[in-house]
Amino acid sequence: MKYSLLTGLLLAFVLVGCRPSQKITRINPNTTTDLSGKWNDTDARLVAEEMITDALSKPWLNQFNRNNQKPPVVIVGRVRNESMEHIETEVFTKELERSFVNSGEISVVASSEERADIRDERLDQQANASYETTKKLGQELGADFMLIGNINSIVDEAVDSRTLAVFYTVNLEFVNIQTNQKVWIGNKKIKKFIERRNYRGMP
Amino acid sequence: MIGLVFTGCHSYLLDDAQFDLRDSFTAADYQSSEELLKKFKKKDIYRSKDQVLYNLESGMIYHFSNKYDSSSFYLSNAENEIDQNYTKSVSRGVGAFLTNDNKLVYDGEPYEDVYLNAFKALNFIHLQDWDAALVETRRMTHKMTQLDVKIKGLASSFAKSDSTGKTDWETGDVNIQNSAMGHYLSTVLYAKAGDIDDARIEREKLEIALKEQANLSSGRNHVKSDLSKLQNPNSYNVLLAGFTGRAPYKVQEDARVFMDDYDDKKDDEFYLKFSFPVLKTYHSEVNYVRAVVNDSITTQLDLIEQMDKVSAEVYKAKQPIIYSRALVRASTKAIGTKLISGAVREKNEFLGDLLQILGFIAQETTEKADLRSWQTMPGQSWMKTIKLPEGINTVRIEYIGRNGRVRYFDEFEVTITPNTELELVESIYAN
Repeated sequence: MKYSLLTGLLLAFVLVGCRPSQKITRINPNTTTDLSGKWNDTDARLVAEEMITDALSKPWLNQFNRNNQKPPVVIVGRVRNESMEHIETEVFTKELERSFVNSGEISVVASSEERADIRDERLDQQANASYETTKKLGQELGADFMLIGNINSIVDEAVDSRTLAVFYTVNLEFVNIQTNQKVWIGNKKIKKFIERRNYRGMP
Repeated sequence: MIGLVFTGCHSYLLDDAQFDLRDSFTAADYQSSEELLKKFKKKDIYRSKDQVLYNLESGMIYHFSNKYDSSSFYLSNAENEIDQNYTKSVSRGVGAFLTNDNKLVYDGEPYEDVYLNAFKALNFIHLQDWDAALVETRRMTHKMTQLDVKIKGLASSFAKSDSTGKTDWETGDVNIQNSAMGHYLSTVLYAKAGDIDDARIEREKLEIALKEQANLSSGRNHVKSDLSKLQNPNSYNVLLAGFTGRAPYKVQEDARVFMDDYDDKKDDEFYLKFSFPVLKTYHSEVNYVRAVVNDSITTQLDLIEQMDKVSAEVYKAKQPIIYSRALVRASTKAIGTKLISGAVREKNEFLGDLLQILGFIAQETTEKADLRSWQTMPGQSWMKTIKLPEGINTVRIEYIGRNGRVRYFDEFEVTITPNTELELVESIYAN
């Protein structure tokens, strides 16, 4: 009896010990989680917040509304990643699109990648949809401005690699498609100081 | 001591595994290489301390199996681990001197850290993601410029933590600070992205890099093409890349010192053995690489980067640190043996002598150079841009030996459409 109990306890101990140690907790998406020091969702959020506020508050928007009596139509172009990290620029450009559309002050049309599928669908409708519901060709809304930009980074590393500073600068611009005039330039700078502590564990 | 000997056995197994993997990869049977690597992992030959190597080899095997996403995954893991392990190496300083290098976590050679980005860049070009490919070439450039700083940083951290003050922690000079392959790819990518100014700057750096490499080996760097054409994106729609040769490999060299003043006093006998790795380059049987397009036009590829020579040059700068570490480790062991056997001999001469002999044997059996390195990295890279007409084209990459005969060829079908901007045709002959 005593041995069975001991064996049972030992077995339970081993089984508990074998359970995977992974733990998953859902957290607020706005929580800052700096784990590696690399570009992350917090940086993308900071860029989106700053750019949205700036783009919607600068005079170009009122001037366009006054002159044209309609909100400007914007298309998202290419935001080039010129940094040394793989950065998904769509994370903040989508956030910008969402805010522009929801504000009602800026209209947004589908980007070049998105509209290919839509055009295919429209063409398909010409042959397959009922007459009443078929969407017409050549009725797309032409954009007034294109949003373009770039991300750059500068890395400054200590000789022992244990501390480094990374400086990101994100530039976004609205360019008038008719005239090439730049009507708005937004900039967000982020600087990070990363300290790597001594590692424990394996030599 | 038995424990030490058994721990040392694993490193011999890993040496053999590296050798087998290199042979398998050279035979261009990547499926077998993949299986072999997995088998070694399953048998615990590639342990967690060797994870960088496992990832590098996996990345390269998947790259040449045309599994570009998987390749980038493993190469990215290797890159992150090299970064973390380097910090670990700097942190531990001389604290780990008594430990055999083979037992330490492998932090990659600086040249391996650079070239993994080249293959990641090629992965992204295959996947038509030029922005991502440029991220990789930028990382290559950054790492090349940081090589000197990084190697000196390692020496300085060892010097700081070495309380004996008897070792000279000097490094060699890194005489190469540019990767021609990195700048070649950047020039092409910037040109195709419409950044003509950046393409020009990269082309200028490419020429500097080629000059730096020309100093490493006499006469082999013969770029015959007009490199300024790389800046003109309309002058080509295909990038040809051929890889030849094999990565440099490490061999063990041993040094032994025995001192005896011949007055029959055992106390004066001193035996020291230290082992260190020496990097050797593999002599490729390929003299040049050419492409035959549609069975009619023949064009020679340019030898853009002698990866093996660059690697050897970079390793040369780090070698003094490796010597110093090996010497400090071996001396500590030898002095320890002498002190202990001397103290025991005062009480029991036989036991003292026995301990001294066991100490000699221990030095012989436990001293082993760390021969870990990236086995599947090629030795040379050849490149050329060409313009193919619309339609289906055949491109045969031929590897020509020193006798002028074709040693090996790879044939590709390349489809060019009006929308084709850049197709990458890549081949390897690791001999």
